This record gives sequence, C-alpha cells and structure tokens, in this order.
Amino acid sequence: MARGKLRDLSFFLSPMVLMVFLFYLVPLIMTVYISMTRMRNWNVDRYLTEFVGFYNYERLFYMFQHDPTFKAVILTTLVFVGITLMINVFGGLALALATFFINERPASSYRLLWLLPRMSPIAVYSLVWYYFFHGSEIGTLNSILMSLGAISEPIPWGQVTPWGAWSVIIFVNGLVGVSFGMIVFTSALNQIPRELVIAARVDGASSWQISRRILIPMIKWHLLYVLTWQFLSLLTTYPHLFLLVQWDLVNRDYGTTLALYVFNTAFGRGEQDQGLAAAAAVILSIIGILGGFVTLKVLKFERMMKRPRGDF
Amino acid sequence: MRAAALWLVALVIFGVIASGCIGGEEAKTSQTEVQLTGDLTKDLVEIGKVLEQNGVNEVKFSAWGSGDPNSVMRVYGIVEAARRINKIWADNGINVKIVITETHYVASFQDAYKEYLSKQPLGQAGDFFVNSYAFLPTLADEGYILDITDYAKAYQGVVDDFYPSLIEASKFNGRLYGLPQDTEARPLYIRRDVAQKIGFELNGLDEKVKNGEFTWSDVYYWAKKAKDEGAAEWGLIHRKGSAHPDLIQFIFAFGGRLYDPNTGKLVVDVPAVYKWLYVEWKFARDGLLPEDIMSWDWAKQIHPAIVEGRTLFDIGGTWYWTEWQTKQYYAKDGTPRGLKPEEVKEWFYYTLFPAGEKGDKPVTLSQPFVWMINSKAGQLNPKYDELKDVYHKLAFLMLIKASDPDINAIHSVISAHLPVRKEAAKLIKDEKWLSDLKALNLDLSDDVKNNIRDIVQATVNPINAQFLADVSYMLEYTHLAPAHPKYPALADIFKEAVDKVLRGEMTPEEAVNYIIQKVKADPELAQNVEIQGEIPKDWKFPQG
Repeated sequence: MARGKLRDLSFFLSPMVLMVFLFYLVPLIMTVYISMTRMRNWNVDRYLTEFVGFYNYERLFYMFQHDPTFKAVILTTLVFVGITLMINVFGGLALALATFFINERPASSYRLLWLLPRMSPIAVYSLVWYYFFHGSEIGTLNSILMSLGAISEPIPWGQVTPWGAWSVIIFVNGLVGVSFGMIVFTSALNQIPRELVIAARVDGASSWQISRRILIPMIKWHLLYVLTWQFLSLLTTYPHLFLLVQWDLVNRDYGTTLALYVFNTAFGRGEQDQGLAAAAAVILSIIGILGGFVTLKVLKFERMMKRPRGDF
Repeated sequence: MRAAALWLVALVIFGVIASGCIGGEEAKTSQTEVQLTGDLTKDLVEIGKVLEQNGVNEVKFSAWGSGDPNSVMRVYGIVEAARRINKIWADNGINVKIVITETHYVASFQDAYKEYLSKQPLGQAGDFFVNSYAFLPTLADEGYILDITDYAKAYQGVVDDFYPSLIEASKFNGRLYGLPQDTEARPLYIRRDVAQKIGFELNGLDEKVKNGEFTWSDVYYWAKKAKDEGAAEWGLIHRKGSAHPDLIQFIFAFGGRLYDPNTGKLVVDVPAVYKWLYVEWKFARDGLLPEDIMSWDWAKQIHPAIVEGRTLFDIGGTWYWTEWQTKQYYAKDGTPRGLKPEEVKEWFYYTLFPAGEKGDKPVTLSQPFVWMINSKAGQLNPKYDELKDVYHKLAFLMLIKASDPDINAIHSVISAHLPVRKEAAKLIKDEKWLSDLKALNLDLSDDVKNNIRDIVQATVNPINAQFLADVSYMLEYTHLAPAHPKYPALADIFKEAVDKVLRGEMTPEEAVNYIIQKVKADPELAQNVEIQGEIPKDWKFPQG
C-alpha cells in the first residue's frame, strides 16, 4: 500500500479504531479477565489478582444443568429476542410503509406518536405499563375488561407462565424498539425516486404490489442493518425488564433474560458476584458475535460492501 | 582542582547535616494519635487539640442513610452529634469544627447498600452509613467498614446500655463493626371492628399468645370465620419481597432455625419450612389470603386493605403505626388521608406473632439498623494519612454522641421504631420530655428541628408513645435473621417458593424440594447451607 494512502487511511480510520479499542476491545478483555477471578462486591484491590481459571464458567454450567430458573432464563432469552426482533423489524417496516402512502403531515404526526415510548424516561414508561398490566383490579387493562364484562376476575397477566410473562415483556420492549426500524426504513423509502412509485401506480399496481415488488427490494440492505442491529441490541437490553421484574409485574423466572441475569448477578443481589456475571457476559458476547456473524453471512452482507463500479 | 572538589563534597555534607539540625525542631512530628479514655469530653478535647496542632480547623464528614420519610434521624442524628461536639470544642476553646457536607437519604435501603458497595472502593461513599445489620457481614468481610471493637472497649458503659442482642447483631466474627441505631418488632395486627363482628374476643389475647395457647391454627379459624361471615374481604394480609423478613418469622414460630452457630452455615430447616409453606398454601387455597399478594402494590393495595378494615389479620411492623398516620392510605370516605392516632388506637389490636402449633413459642423478628463507619472515614480531610487514627476515633465518638438517649428516643417516637438503648426507652415514657419534643423545646440544632418539624407534629402524641411502650416487651421474643453474606440469596429463594405456593403453582412439598434444588444448584450457596430434617408425614393444618 502506498505510503500516502496508508497515511490517509490512518487519519480517517484512527478515531473509529480508537473508539473500538477503548470501548469494545478493552472492556471485552477486562470482562474475560474478570470472569477468571473471584471478583465480587466491587473489591478490586482484594480480588483482581485472585485468579480462579474457569471456576466461574464451571459454576455457571453446573447451575445451567441443575437450576430450573436458569433454564427459564435461557428459554426466555430465546423467545424474547426472537419474537421482539420480528416485531421490531417487520413492525417498523409496516409502519414505514403505512406512512409512506399517506400525506406527509399526518404521517409525521403518526410517526411522532410511535417515537413517544423512546422519548419517555425508562422508569416513567415502565410505570405506565406496570399499572396497565397490573394483575389486579387496579390494573388498567383488567379494569377495562371487567367493566366491559369480558372477564369477571382480574387476570395476573405477567404472572401467567410462560406466555403471559413473555407477552408483557415482548410488548413493552417491542413498542420501544419498533420506532428505530420505522425511522431507518422511512428514511430509506424517502430516498427512492418517486417516479418509480408513480409509474407503478399508473400501471395499476396496488400499494401492496408496490411495496412487495419495488420498495422492499430496494431497502433490503436497510432491513439487514436493522435486523442485525436490533438482534444485538435485544440480546443485551435489560432496563425495562429489570423494572418490570423488580416491581413484581412479571414472573421473575420468565421475565429474566441472560442480559438481566448478568446485571442482577453483578449489581443486583445482596452479594454482588462480578466474576460469575462476567462469565455469563462472556457467553452472552460469544452468542452475540456468533449471531451477528451468522445473520450477516446468511443474508450475504458482503454483497452490500462490494466496490462501486465505474469511478475507481 | 582536586582540592576544590573536596571542598565541594565537604560543603554538601555540611549542608545536609546543617539542614537536618536547622529543621530538627520543624521535623518533630506533631501528635497524630490519641488514646480513648471513655471520658467523652476529655477524648474530644484531646482529639480537637491534635487536629488544631496539625493545622486542621475544619473536619468534613458525610452521612448516608435510608428508610421511610419518618426515619430521617438516621442521618440527622449525625448532624446533631456534630453540633454537640462542636459546642464541646467551643466551650473548651478549641478552634475546630465538624461540618456535615452531605446528608444522603434514600427510600430504599437495598438501593442505598448497592450504592455504598459500588462507591466505597472508589472513595466516594459516605463516612457514616446506616443500614440493615443484614449487610454488615459483607461490608465487614470486604473491609469496607471500620472495626470499632477496640474503640468501644473504652466506652463499655455506653455499649452496655444497648440491648445485648442488638450489639450481637452489630458484630461479625466476634468483632464490633457498628452501633445499633434502631430496631423494631413485627406484631400481628388484628382489626378490632372486624373481630367484634365475628365475636372474636381480644381482651387477654396477648397473654394467650405469649403462653403459646393461641397458635396459627387459631389464626386460621378466625380468619376463615371473618371471611365466611362476610365481616372482611380477607382473613390475612402480609408483606411481600425477600428483603422484608416478616414471613421468615414462620420458621421460628414452628420451632425451626436458620443458622447453625456451630458450623457457621445457614440452615434450611425442612420441617419448619414445610409447615410455613403449608400455612401460606392453605390460607391462599381457602381464599383467606390473596394468592397474588407477592405482587400487590404497597400503596394502592396492601396498606389500603389493612387501614380500611378489609382484613382481620395483618403481619406488619411497628413502624406501620405512624406510617398509617403520615401516608394517605385510607380512602374509604373518598379523598385519601392518613389515619388519626385515635383511629389507629381504636381499630388495631396488636400481639406477638403466634406460635406455629401447640408446644411452640410466639416470636417476633427484628432487623436492626446499624450505624457503621466507612473504613476510609475522613479521607477527604487534610493530612488524612498522618491523622487517620484521629479521624477514625473522632468518627467513632460521633457515633457515641449520635447515640445520645434523647436522639435515639426522638427517632423512636417519630418513626415508631423501638429504642436501642435502655436510657432512651426510659425517656419515651417521660411525659414532660414528650411534651417538650412536641413543642420542639429540646436542645437540637435549627437544621434538625426544621427537618423533623412536620413529622413531629404528625406523630408525637401520648397514643404513639404508649404504643411503643406496649410493644417493647416483644424484644424479649425477638429473633434475628442470620447475619451471613449468603443469607440474601437464600431469602430470595424462600420468597420465590412462597410466591409459587400462594399462586397454587406448587404444593408445599414441591416447594420445599424446589428450595433444596435451588440451593444445591449453586455450588457456592450449597457450601454455605445445610439441609436439615425431612418433610413431616401426616402433619395437619389447622389443628384442633
């Protein structure tokens, strides 16, 4: 590589390389290291050099084999990530397409409405759903259904295991996540030349046909981006889940994902076990890296990255 | 040239020696240690002089505490102690002052603990920390709080005035790590109006409970009668969550134990745990106790159900007594409001937590809050490394001062916690002192007075003082949840098991096996917990 080109590359890439190094590689290395120590209760001075090898991983594996709660955590992680991901990606796509075909002013207001959950502080937003799904007559949903005569006894939505608990956490998180896809897809759709849509309309194509044949194929890379991003994001998200479990709205076993388990183990118990949490976090990172890699390979991400033709 | 070099070397050597001689007087280190004698004024004066000699005229400390709004003396006790010490120094012509830079007070004691845990290693945690004794073992084990055993030896007279069981709760591995700040009992409250409707005679009931004649089978009988006759919506309401050890009382009431002092391990006492879970299961199956109580809302469901008389029995804490007066839980008449002291007295009977069955003993359970000192206390002050011993001893003396009987008694009266010192218990019974407190005509700083004025107005009255006097005897029956670093994890498992039997997801037998399975699933927990006994065959509840 020419010296000048290397210099230019270094100049432009160095901020990103530095960021990745500082905020990804260093924490990752530290997490791996901590997972091999007895680190607990933040006592760095005492435990950082107490190396225990794979003890925390063995403990984790043993718990996975024998603790019924741990199996529920793994199952909840799979269901939560899988279904919420579909809602976030395809719900976002549906919203973007729906607003694409209506006038800009109502479309903007509609999009703003879907952004509200993301703009609300997490505690406030979670509190709203806490009271909405509360399993007694003070719960909004129960009181509505009871006043309509649809049910005679309040339903403890979040405590019906497993699907009641899963439905609540998926709903609450899905509502926040769907706006991300909507914004990305809306932006992508707005880049498509209007002539294509108008021409299709003239030829008598319906909105569904236009979406399926023209719009969706043209934003497939955005779809891939949102899918990968949201997958990694959902795998590591926990704040809403934490509050809903903490407030006893949802069943503890089936409201806890691996990310929340890591958080609770590191910061949430009477005895905070950062070594064990780090081991779980490493496994979570491996799942994330593998999942992201598989997603990109299956959907042939490298085709998006091929060199542009013509001007090189 | 050689001669010049020799002169130069000689000059340097002379300079070094001369500077040592000249600076000799300066280098003579000022006193940086003091010996505690047990005479508070003398010790404080000595400390003040040492600080003054070392050029320190202002000592900064911060106080961290947590709890309900009525318990703010947990931090203002420190503020008041600082003022009293400042006065002693001023009276003795010592130009040093303690300044409390921060009174960090949060509602959740678990959150406060987590914050302390994460900030202590960084040197950002409060110098004084008041929290549940349940966290003391971990903090002591990690070296996060000061071992005050040797300091306390000089003040044995003060230490002896604390109730011995509470001093024991402030120890870890035989060493003292704090001084008790408050404690409580957990009575069984009974609605007098509901009891009257079903012919449940309450006069003399507390004696029957004390003698073990009134057991949980009787509680079941009356709860069922109240429900069946439509006198109340529920027979029993209790608290929720694992950090609140109210339900752990069942283990002791059924003659079980949670800790083996010989092995230093926690215990899952299978027969007692099984009987506890069976009682919960039976109450819930018969509709006497809400099966989803573990997810009930405190302010909208649990407390309103009690204060509005929708239950006959309630397992609560002594602090409920004033909490019901200061929080707006009662909404039966329309606009939510706090209860009047007269209403609380008229509506609620209170007694010990009854024995599980005939032959067992009644119990109560305390979770003392303890004043602890950060092992880095005073670190933000000048010359900390040299004067560490002085700052730590001063912090200890502040705790001694903050434990003054009147400060402790004020806290007890306004928060309905029980006094931890015998001298404070005497004050609570003194009518003149109570009327002075009501008028805030006490030797307190304006800052403290302003911060407790509203609480004092709402809570200081003869009815509340009488309540505290009435329940004090319960401390003779008290048990403490084990001060063991792994106890919170075990308590969490118990909570999950209770939730499952209440909801009918598991039978009591399945729930006991669930607890055992969970304990064994975590190798570290398994090493610290002994499973003892077996599920009793043919055990019946209720018994005749």
